[in-house]
Amino acid sequence: MSNKTMQRTVLGMLVAIVILIGSNALAGNQKKSLQIEGSTTVGPIADAFAEVFLKTHPKLSLTVKKTGSGDGAAALIDSRCDIATMSRFMKGKEFKKAVEKGVMPVAHAIAMDGVCVVVHPSNPINALTTEQIRKIYKGETTNWKQLGGANKPIVVISRDTSSGTYETFHKLAMKKKKMAKSVEYVNSNPQAHARVKTTDGAIAYVGLGFLDDAVKGLTVDGVKPGRDTIASGKYPLSRPLYFFTNGYPKLGSLTHAFCTFYLTEKGQEIIEAKGFVPVTNY
Amino acid sequence: MKMQLRHLGDKTFTFASGMSVLLMVAALVLILGPMLSRGAGALVFDGTVEYRKMQYDMHGRGQRKPLETQLKNAAKARAEVYRLMDNFAVMVDTSKVQKQAKSIFRQFKIQLSNQVKNGTLAPEQAASLKFAGKELRNKLRRAYKTSNAQEAHEKLDYVLNYADNRQFADSVAGQFFTLARQYKNVVSAAGLKHRETYAKSFREVQEIIKELLGPQPGEPIPDLAQFQYGSTRWGRAKILRDRLLWAETWVAQGPDQPLKKTRTPREDQFAGTELAKLFPIMEQNLEKMLLPQRTFYWQYFIDDSTPGHFFGGVGPEIIGTVLLTLLAMAIAVPLGVTAAGYLVECTGDGTFIRIIRTCINTLAGVPSIVFGLFGLAFFVLYLQPKLGVGSGSTILAGALTLTVLVLPVLIRASEEAIRAVPLTYKEASLGLGAGKFRTFVKVTLPAATPGILTGIILSMSRAAGETAPILFTATVALGPVPKSIFQPTRTLSYGSYDIAVGDRIAAMVPHQQYGMVMTLIALVLVLNLTAIIIRRKLESKLRGH
Amino acid sequence: MTKNPDKKSEPQVAAVGFNRPLLLSPAQDLQGYLAAVLGKMFLLGITCVSLMVVVLIFVFISKEAWPFFATHGIGKLLGSTSWYPTAEPAEFGGVSLLAGSLYVTAGALLIAVPIGLLAALFLSDIVSFRIRQFVKPIIELLAAIPSVAYGFFAVLIMAPWMQEKLHLPTGTNALNASIILAIMAIPTIISIAEDALSAAGRNLREGSYALGATRAETLVKVVVPAAHSGIIAAIILGMMRAVGETMVVWMASGNAARIPAPWWNITQSIRTMTATIAGEMGETAKGSDHYHCLFAVGFLLLVFTFALNLASEHFLSRARRLRGGSK
Repeated sequence: MSNKTMQRTVLGMLVAIVILIGSNALAGNQKKSLQIEGSTTVGPIADAFAEVFLKTHPKLSLTVKKTGSGDGAAALIDSRCDIATMSRFMKGKEFKKAVEKGVMPVAHAIAMDGVCVVVHPSNPINALTTEQIRKIYKGETTNWKQLGGANKPIVVISRDTSSGTYETFHKLAMKKKKMAKSVEYVNSNPQAHARVKTTDGAIAYVGLGFLDDAVKGLTVDGVKPGRDTIASGKYPLSRPLYFFTNGYPKLGSLTHAFCTFYLTEKGQEIIEAKGFVPVTNY
Repeated sequence: MKMQLRHLGDKTFTFASGMSVLLMVAALVLILGPMLSRGAGALVFDGTVEYRKMQYDMHGRGQRKPLETQLKNAAKARAEVYRLMDNFAVMVDTSKVQKQAKSIFRQFKIQLSNQVKNGTLAPEQAASLKFAGKELRNKLRRAYKTSNAQEAHEKLDYVLNYADNRQFADSVAGQFFTLARQYKNVVSAAGLKHRETYAKSFREVQEIIKELLGPQPGEPIPDLAQFQYGSTRWGRAKILRDRLLWAETWVAQGPDQPLKKTRTPREDQFAGTELAKLFPIMEQNLEKMLLPQRTFYWQYFIDDSTPGHFFGGVGPEIIGTVLLTLLAMAIAVPLGVTAAGYLVECTGDGTFIRIIRTCINTLAGVPSIVFGLFGLAFFVLYLQPKLGVGSGSTILAGALTLTVLVLPVLIRASEEAIRAVPLTYKEASLGLGAGKFRTFVKVTLPAATPGILTGIILSMSRAAGETAPILFTATVALGPVPKSIFQPTRTLSYGSYDIAVGDRIAAMVPHQQYGMVMTLIALVLVLNLTAIIIRRKLESKLRGH
Repeated sequence: MTKNPDKKSEPQVAAVGFNRPLLLSPAQDLQGYLAAVLGKMFLLGITCVSLMVVVLIFVFISKEAWPFFATHGIGKLLGSTSWYPTAEPAEFGGVSLLAGSLYVTAGALLIAVPIGLLAALFLSDIVSFRIRQFVKPIIELLAAIPSVAYGFFAVLIMAPWMQEKLHLPTGTNALNASIILAIMAIPTIISIAEDALSAAGRNLREGSYALGATRAETLVKVVVPAAHSGIIAAIILGMMRAVGETMVVWMASGNAARIPAPWWNITQSIRTMTATIAGEMGETAKGSDHYHCLFAVGFLLLVFTFALNLASEHFLSRARRLRGGSK
């Protein structure tokens, strides 16, 4: 390439870059936008709501981040998001911090969920008690044969600490005791599901919406996780799923529409389609 | 003797070192091979008629007439399947009539509120009618759900007691009674036992058929795109057909042994019933029902994706990566080339210059996640509020972080390129009376441009591939195409991570997972190959070929 | 050829196209001088951007890490292996994280250094120039693959393979991460070691061959020791690459914050410092203990890589010196 052509190409590229960036920078921010951050359990519901909303309001910009309930709470406290999806209620510490920063969190319970303990389908064990689960996660039981199963070491998998699913499990199953250090941490429900699907000796816990044929959900304390047992609260590891907003959203605003969508029939159908338990018997 | 040993050692050494190189080449092939080939499955695959329908609905691609003919043919092939399933469902699966009951009640509510609005009905009466109607609906549903024939009859009788009530019979709620009478005729103890046996397996069969063929004609269309179409890829359809024809069960092998997976033909589960005919039909006629055809989906690189990446392409991700990279280079190139020029031309080897060189080398060695932390702490949390932009992720912050990341690479490459320019060029220009600055701009820089260009392209490929620096500063998993640089964006690198570990829907569509990673790798490889070619041409030029 | 000294000389447009008069007035002279000096200062300023950035990085990371050190002291971080930052009371024992980083780095180096050195020797001494020109780009391509792609491979292809074929209970472990990190570090090691080996000079090699040594002996006993500074620098740079890698270890190492028991079992999951920062950063609210603790871990990482950097520079400059001279 001759010098001249090279210079011209470079100049052309620079001009193109400047135009691109200039037009972008001048376009400015979108007015109608919604930032949603938080749980990987509630995330699929938010995704699905977002999909429906985008169909009816095509000019909308909805951003959904799914990294963990703790992330959602942190984002709401820092006013970085409009709705925080969380699979647990806000902790006292988080509330205090929020109020310090002038944010008043309001909870909307949009669905019921159960934390299901899952194992690989080849595992002969079908039921465990909360006590046995606690022992496994504390590292006191290390082989499946100690529980009447096959002779395989138990691969214990937990959600990471920013997860609401983790918090619920920690509170209800572990009774707030610490987990063993040998526990593997994964960052999301789908990852936990994938690990159990591919590892014979694995045990993990996922939200109800992630229970399918590839893994086996265990009966806990004699109660099988299912729509009825979770809705009635019989299943020991049931919990509500929440949307948190800063103050009650203004009537007619986008946030309000999004946060009350779960009360409509369409919203509840979506929640059911995603595998969770809608709050009413519509 | 010793001589032979030494020669043997020599040969072994040569062999071992040759093996190392072969090992590296093998590693490259092993790593890139599966990802690129599986990713190519996102571009070239056998698409079914459902796929063509989806493309037409969502993007208007394809022609209407031939598509309608194909859909008609497919529907003809499917009709028998649906007929068999509907007949079997009458006793076994009452979910449809349950849904019908629900929708009757909804319509009844609407009718009541309309009547209140135009004054034909008093609000208190409407409220009590609504309450009673809800009771009817619940009892009817209970009757459908129960497996106890006596209970079913009880509930149906309760419902039919209201059949004479004019207020119900004349309104929408009258349909409750038709349903109740229909069911009362059919329900019997034997029939309910029949349901017990087949309910679970039939539900599984229904699920798989729904995934294969999409919603049954006549049923309401689901809201989510994922459920609106049947199987769009022939490969997946074959897997589903296999799952339909063979049921997997886990069988105990003995004490202390894990369960073993066994396959039994699903036909056996329904032996003796009408539904058994379904399976041979599905086995042989699936092609006619889905009409697979080789498709080349090049719009994969342009299209947006539905949430979860179930359908669609990686267009916005590519745009995000390109924007971030270009913006980063636009800032980094002037800074880097100027700095390199200054370092070469204007300085000796003083302490200050040594410090600057150490700093450049330090920057080169900082871990990428520390860059991410720095970007978060400085650009997002400190600088952006000062500029009036909120402290959230933005393309600007991500690009600035990437600039800082590639600066040392760029400075080093530019320095080498400028140094490689033969001294004679510079001396000739100075000898003709040009000043140092003019010499640099008009003589040295153009001569060094190929080398600098190589450096730019290599930095671009580095910036495009990095994930850690943009994790906290610029990228999100789901979001719109950015309209300004003060918004976050989806990117290929973070998208690949998210899809690989984060999304359950993505696990159902592995071709999408591999497709995104393949796009990223292809982008980076193309950039690198360009750089290598330019460098080759430069080297041959300098060697005087 | 005489020129009229009063007239301004006709513009002799040379190849560079300037038209400055031959004799400057004092004002123009001063102007020119100022322009030159200011221009130089401006350029120096731009060059100093890199200096500024390094200083800013240190400042900002220390600024955010300081509250942790002030309230808890570095002893807490380095004192225990219990990493429970969200428990009440929170425990910030980072030794398991340090150990995790150490495990994957050591594992990666154990694999990468022999293979990398052998490959560098092969490329610099044993093969012809043409094959070298062919093989070098392939190895550079290995270096260019984004780390996310490596992580993808590690978690979706290699982990299941390890579980099936090697019958390990879990495929995401220290071994998996070490292998992938080795593949990422080898190109760095090869390129720098090769430079060092070529710079060792033909006379050394020729002298050795003349004395009757085989090629292997020459390489191992003469060339490598001669180039040892450069090789050590290559190893240190490879180490820096392995320590600083985030995405691969986040996806492939299992993220269990503990020291494997027994200590030599690298088929267990571990967690590195980089993966901890990447994984937990989003959940912390700005200003919380956890947030500052993560910055403290980042600070440790920064200091460690800075030290490694200084070491590698020392060795590289030694190599240059021993080579005798040109910059």
